Amino acid sequence: MASVKLTDVKKIYDNKVTAVHDFNLEIADKEFVVFVGPSGCGKSTTLRMIAGLEDISDGTLEIDGEVVNDLQPKDRDIAMVFQNYALYPHMTVYDNIAFSLRLKKVPEDEIYERVTNAAQILGITEYLTRKPRALSGGQRQRVAIGRAMVRNAKVFLMDEPLSNLDAKLRNQMRAEIILLRQKLDTTFIYVTHDQTEAMTLGDRIVIMKDGFIEQVGTPQEVFDTPVNLFVAGFIGSPQMNFLKANLVMGANGYEVEILGVNIPLNESQNEVLTRKEVQSQEVILGVRPEHTTVLFDNAEGAIECTIDVNEMMGSELHLHLSSKNNDKIIVRLPTVDLTQEQRDSLSYGNKLFITFPAKVMHLFDPATEKSLIDA
Amino acid sequence: MSETSMKRHMGLRASRAISNTLIYVLLIAISIIWLIPFFCIVLQSFRVESTWQVGYVIPKQWGFDNYVNLFSTDFPRWYVNTFITAVCTALLQTVIVLCMSYTLSRFRFKMRKPLMRFMLILGMFPGMLTMIILYRVLKDLGLTQANATPGLILVYVASSGMGYYVSKGFFDTIPKSLDEAARVDGATRFQVLKKIILPLSKPIVIYTVLTAFMGPWGDFVFARYISFGASAGMNVAVGLYNWLTPDQINKNYTMFCSGGVLVAVPVTLLFLFLQKYYVEGVTGGAVKG
Repeated sequence: MASVKLTDVKKIYDNKVTAVHDFNLEIADKEFVVFVGPSGCGKSTTLRMIAGLEDISDGTLEIDGEVVNDLQPKDRDIAMVFQNYALYPHMTVYDNIAFSLRLKKVPEDEIYERVTNAAQILGITEYLTRKPRALSGGQRQRVAIGRAMVRNAKVFLMDEPLSNLDAKLRNQMRAEIILLRQKLDTTFIYVTHDQTEAMTLGDRIVIMKDGFIEQVGTPQEVFDTPVNLFVAGFIGSPQMNFLKANLVMGANGYEVEILGVNIPLNESQNEVLTRKEVQSQEVILGVRPEHTTVLFDNAEGAIECTIDVNEMMGSELHLHLSSKNNDKIIVRLPTVDLTQEQRDSLSYGNKLFITFPAKVMHLFDPATEKSLIDA
Repeated sequence: MSETSMKRHMGLRASRAISNTLIYVLLIAISIIWLIPFFCIVLQSFRVESTWQVGYVIPKQWGFDNYVNLFSTDFPRWYVNTFITAVCTALLQTVIVLCMSYTLSRFRFKMRKPLMRFMLILGMFPGMLTMIILYRVLKDLGLTQANATPGLILVYVASSGMGYYVSKGFFDTIPKSLDEAARVDGATRFQVLKKIILPLSKPIVIYTVLTAFMGPWGDFVFARYISFGASAGMNVAVGLYNWLTPDQINKNYTMFCSGGVLVAVPVTLLFLFLQKYYVEGVTGGAVKG
C-alpha cells in the first residue's frame, strides 16, 4: 500500500518520438486509478514506466515518497498483471504463483499458505497442478492475478487485463476485480482502452490522448463535465452528439440557437459564460444520446429529424437520426413505454422530433475544442 | 459404388502402393550406401588375422586384439585430449553463445545492430585465414605442440560468441512479457535467463551443446596444425590419421578401425541421450492463445 506521485514524467524514445509529455499525477494510498485512452495515447507506456520496464526520460516518479526512477522493477515492490497473462509455460499454476515468493526466499510452508489462499479467493484451487496451456483464457487471467496478489506489493498494476477475454467473461472478471480490490485494499493503477471498464472500476479516471493528460476526475465528473471535445466524445456510449450551433446573447441571457430553435441556458451556465466574458459565437453543442427526449409529434422547441437507422438493443433503441442540416444525432429511447404503433413508426425515413433541456448541454469552442461552460 | 469408380479407386490404391514401394526401395538403398563404410570399419576393427588392408570385408578371425592394442599406443592420450577439448569447449561455448544470444535478443543498446552485422560479415571469412596468426599467438603463449589442448580450447571458445544466430532466433520467439513478468516478480536479468528463458529453450540449448561438442571432437585441420607433430598434443583425428601414412598403414590399419569405432561411441551416446529433448514444444499457453 503506497501513494504514487508522477512529476513532469516524460517518455522520449530513441527515435525522438515523445510518447508521454509532462505527466503529473498524484495517486493516493489505496486509490484505484484508471488510465484510459485510445491506442497510442501513452497509457501503457506510463504504466510501464511506473513498473520500471521503461526508462523515464525526464521527471520523477515516487512510490511511497521515495524516488524510484533508477530502481529495477524487482526493487520497486510492485505487482503487475499483463494483457497477455505472461504465465511461465513450463511451470505449474502453483509454481507460477509461488515464483516471486521463491525468489524472495520465503519459507515453503508460508508460500503454500499464501498460494492456496490466493487460489481459493480466485477459485483456481483445482488447477494448481496444471500447466498454463491446460487452462482457458479466464483461468489464465486468474492465475496472472493470483501471481500478482501473493506479492502483497505496494502497488498493483494492471495492463489491459481483460482485453483478451470474450465479452461475457470480461464482464464477469470486471466484477471480480472490484471484489478483489475490496479484499486487497491496496493502490491500483489500471490501464484500459475501454471506457466502460474505466467508469466502473476507477475511483478516478485519467483520460489520455497523444501522450497528454486530457482530464483527471471521478467517473461522474468526467461524464458530467468533460473539459474538452475529446473527453466528451470518449466517455459515454454511444458517444455524445456534436452539433454546430450558435451561442447568442438574448434578452434574458445566453441562448443556444440550433436549427431554428433557441434554447435558453440555465443560471449556472449563464454565470460561467458571463464570468468568462464569452461573446456571441459559433459553438459545438454536445448532447448525450441518453439526455435527449424523443417526441413523435412536433412541439415548441423541438428539432425535426429523420430516422436513418433503428438499432434494437433490447431494453432500448438506438436511433440514428439526421437533422435538416444533415447533422448526425444518436438518441437512446427506452422501449418499455412505447406503443406498438410508435414502434412501427420508428423506421427508415420517418420524421421524429427531439428536445433536450439546457442543463444537459455541453458547449465547446470550435477553435480550442475546450468546454465553454466548464467552471 | 459404381464399377468404374471402383476400378478407379483400386487403380489409385495400386499406384500409391507402387510409388510407396519405390520410395522405400530408394531410401533403403541410400541407407545401405551410407552405412557400408561404417559397417566395414566396425567389421575390420574385429579382424585379427592381419593388420593391413585386405580385399574382403568379413574377418576370417574375430577378436578384440585391436582394441586392446590401442591402449599400448598414444591413443588413450589422444582420446583424453579430444575429450577434454570437446567437453570444455561445449561447456564454455554454450555459456557464451546463450549469454550472447540472450543479450542480443533482449537488451537494446547502441551499436547492437552494427555489431550483429559486423559479426555476420566476419563469420563469412573462412577460419583458415587466421591459422597462421593463431599459431604465432599460441606459440608465443606456449600453447602449441604438447600443450595444444588448452590452445585449441582457447581457439574454439574465442570465436563462439559469433554463433548466436540460431539461439537468438529461438529466444526472439519467447514473448518478452515473460521476462517482464519475471522482472516485476523480483528476478534479476540473470535469473530471468536461468529460470525462464533456458527452461523454455531446452531444444536450442541441446543443439548448442551438441554442435559445440561436435566441432572440436571431429576437428582435424586446426588440431593437426597446432599440435604440429607432437603426439602428446594430438587429438584422435590427427593421431589416427598418422597411422594411415604409407609407412604405418600396414601395421596399424585394423587398429585405426577400432580407434574410429571408439571415437564414434561418445557422439552416438550423446545424440541418443539428448535427442528426446528436441521433441518437446514448450511455449504453449505462455501468452494468449
